[in-house]
Amino acid sequence: MSDTTALLFGFNNYSIEILKNVENQYDNVKIYSLHEEDTKIDNYTIGHFDLSDNWQKMEDDINIEKSVAFCVLEETAENVFLVISLRSTYEDLSIIAVASHKEDANKLLMAGANKVIPLVETTADIITNMLENPISNDVLHEILYEESALKIAQIKIGKESHFKDEELSSIDWSHYNGIIVLSVMHKDMKSEFIYSSKAKHHVIQEEDVLVVVGYEKDIQEFEKRIGSHRYVSWNNWSW
Amino acid sequence: MLKKLIIDFAFYLQTSKSYQARKHFYENLLNNNKYKYKKYLDIFMISLIFTSVAVLIREVKHPIHDYMFYFNSYVISIIFFIEYLFRFWIYSSISKTIVDRAEHDSFLSRDINLFKAFKKIIKVKLSYIFSITAIIDLLAVMPFFHELRLLRLFILFRVFKLFRYANSFQTLASVLASKKFEFFTLAIFASVVIFVSSVLIYVMEANNPNSPINTMFEAFYWSIVTISTVGYGDVVPITYEGRIVALVVIIAGIAVLAFTTSLVVSAFTEKIDEIKEIKTVEDITKLKSFYLICGYEKLAQDVAKKLQKHGNSIIVLDTDAQRIATAKSDCLTALLYDPGEMQSYKKLNINLEKQVKAVLCLREDDVANVYTALTVRSLSKEIHILSLLMENSNRRKLEYAGINKLVYPQELIGLITKELVGQPVAFEVIHELRSETSNVNITEILISQRISEIYSIVGELGNKNFRVVLLGVYKKNRGHFYFNALESTLLETGDFLLVIGYKVFIKEFEQHLHTRVNNE
Repeated sequence: MSDTTALLFGFNNYSIEILKNVENQYDNVKIYSLHEEDTKIDNYTIGHFDLSDNWQKMEDDINIEKSVAFCVLEETAENVFLVISLRSTYEDLSIIAVASHKEDANKLLMAGANKVIPLVETTADIITNMLENPISNDVLHEILYEESALKIAQIKIGKESHFKDEELSSIDWSHYNGIIVLSVMHKDMKSEFIYSSKAKHHVIQEEDVLVVVGYEKDIQEFEKRIGSHRYVSWNNWSW
Repeated sequence: MLKKLIIDFAFYLQTSKSYQARKHFYENLLNNNKYKYKKYLDIFMISLIFTSVAVLIREVKHPIHDYMFYFNSYVISIIFFIEYLFRFWIYSSISKTIVDRAEHDSFLSRDINLFKAFKKIIKVKLSYIFSITAIIDLLAVMPFFHELRLLRLFILFRVFKLFRYANSFQTLASVLASKKFEFFTLAIFASVVIFVSSVLIYVMEANNPNSPINTMFEAFYWSIVTISTVGYGDVVPITYEGRIVALVVIIAGIAVLAFTTSLVVSAFTEKIDEIKEIKTVEDITKLKSFYLICGYEKLAQDVAKKLQKHGNSIIVLDTDAQRIATAKSDCLTALLYDPGEMQSYKKLNINLEKQVKAVLCLREDDVANVYTALTVRSLSKEIHILSLLMENSNRRKLEYAGINKLVYPQELIGLITKELVGQPVAFEVIHELRSETSNVNITEILISQRISEIYSIVGELGNKNFRVVLLGVYKKNRGHFYFNALESTLLETGDFLLVIGYKVFIKEFEQHLHTRVNNE
């Protein structure tokens, strides 16, 4: 049985782009289409399904807890139905869905998706940023998406970390050259900006996640010095 | 010899840059409503007209100062006469007519016939002299001959000159002119009724010694007063027959009034969109900078909203009436123009490079976007064009059309998903920074010359006191971003600080930078 699996539901330009970007991150990728005429793309054979399918069988081939389903059907109603079908069968499956608008995104969240990307709003945000804040847009784009030396990373506080039990505001971050700590996420809370009043009095505990920006070697150095490690798993994490 | 001199002089004027520039300036000043200085001349002339009328009213019962009298009779008249001469000059080009005739005759290897040229010049100039506006202009100069008391009443003709300077009068005239035929029919009908009723009432009433209608003029006066439904009551028919005529005229009067009202209303209803469009284009011409959105579909609607929140002016062009209606209901300036047509930009009368921040081709159709981009690019090589890409296979075509930035939503979704599955918390943090609705923001602060004079290095900024994270400094002259810039990094004019923090704290930090400058 494969360790991690990406399940792509829907065969269209969105799934092709998702496939391009995530295929290296998963041991196995499975693509499903509603249409019989879709048969193959690159090295992947396209499976077929219809919305009345019972997904119980899928459990035999993949490890549900380590899998992520990407629901990108073009019809919103079908996409909502697919998400609700998957969620009703697998409570632990991580589901990411694409919606055209925020109204549709709410329905998909109600149907059980862990994360929904509202296409119009997200694209509009990016276009506005491109025009109004071109410099910050380029910098953030480089940090997030490009293969640049500057990286954003999630550092999970381990048992041995000397930050443990320290108050966030009492730490002098300037000791860690080349690193900027942007936010902290407690296991039970949403990520909080480093200077927010909540984060200010937050006592760092094991399992907390720090979001840092820096050059790769500086991040590695930071990890070593604080005795924590990078956190990359997305599974079972929801907003 | 004289003929040669005239032709040479005409050629000289036609090729003289300074002469043509001057003539062009006066043409703009007097006739071009879009010329920015015309309004000052209009205001000046309107002030003269009102001054003139005020003096006329004042002098009816009160003596006026001599200087006021001379100002009204001579100064204003001379100014109006100069204006009349300028209008006469720019109405047509004498030199151009002569040059055209000379070239035409030379081309056909004939003797140059200046007589024909002068005939044409006189014909054109006379058509100006006898135009209604020119006659009004000339009559407005008449009070110059103030010794003839009657000519002083010509001051009132100055009021008619207002038509020239107030655009709304011109709009009203053009609206009414659109129903010329209907008004003409109505005038014929009213004239026939007035004529017949005047004759009838005269015939019925004139021989009755008790009747106030004794002359044809009185009959005519009564007809007009009755048909217009004014009915003063000073002249009334007293005979039985005369009253029957009155009944007919009253009914005809109601019909004429109703017809006139409906004509004016329908003329305005038909022209209202055109009038609004003219007003919209005038407003757009006055805008200093704006984004031009071509196509108003879902994504464009969202982009427009967000750009508006940033305080930008937005102009929307689309070929679909429903989408234009949506844009208008979203409080945007929108025109039913085809953004792919050159004519649309000519009608807009805008300077693309100076006024337009960027052109956004946001139709969900690559063909339409390419067409628009090519049209815009053919008008300006410098303007920034951003376009939506719907099919990746069309990417090269859109790039070839001269689009600076392409946005392919599918690709964005791919990139977002990659980051989302790899680093969800980090992604969420960056997403929050970019989101319009979030409290924590990333902002660019420009280092102005004044700020750089006070804060020479990064360490002096004091951003930490304002709970603001300085992500780095962007050096525009080097095109490089210095992440987590050292405290000793020099700040230069034109640099940008990239700061992250709560909006309110960033604002305070910005204020602090400027206040410190002010205090110094």
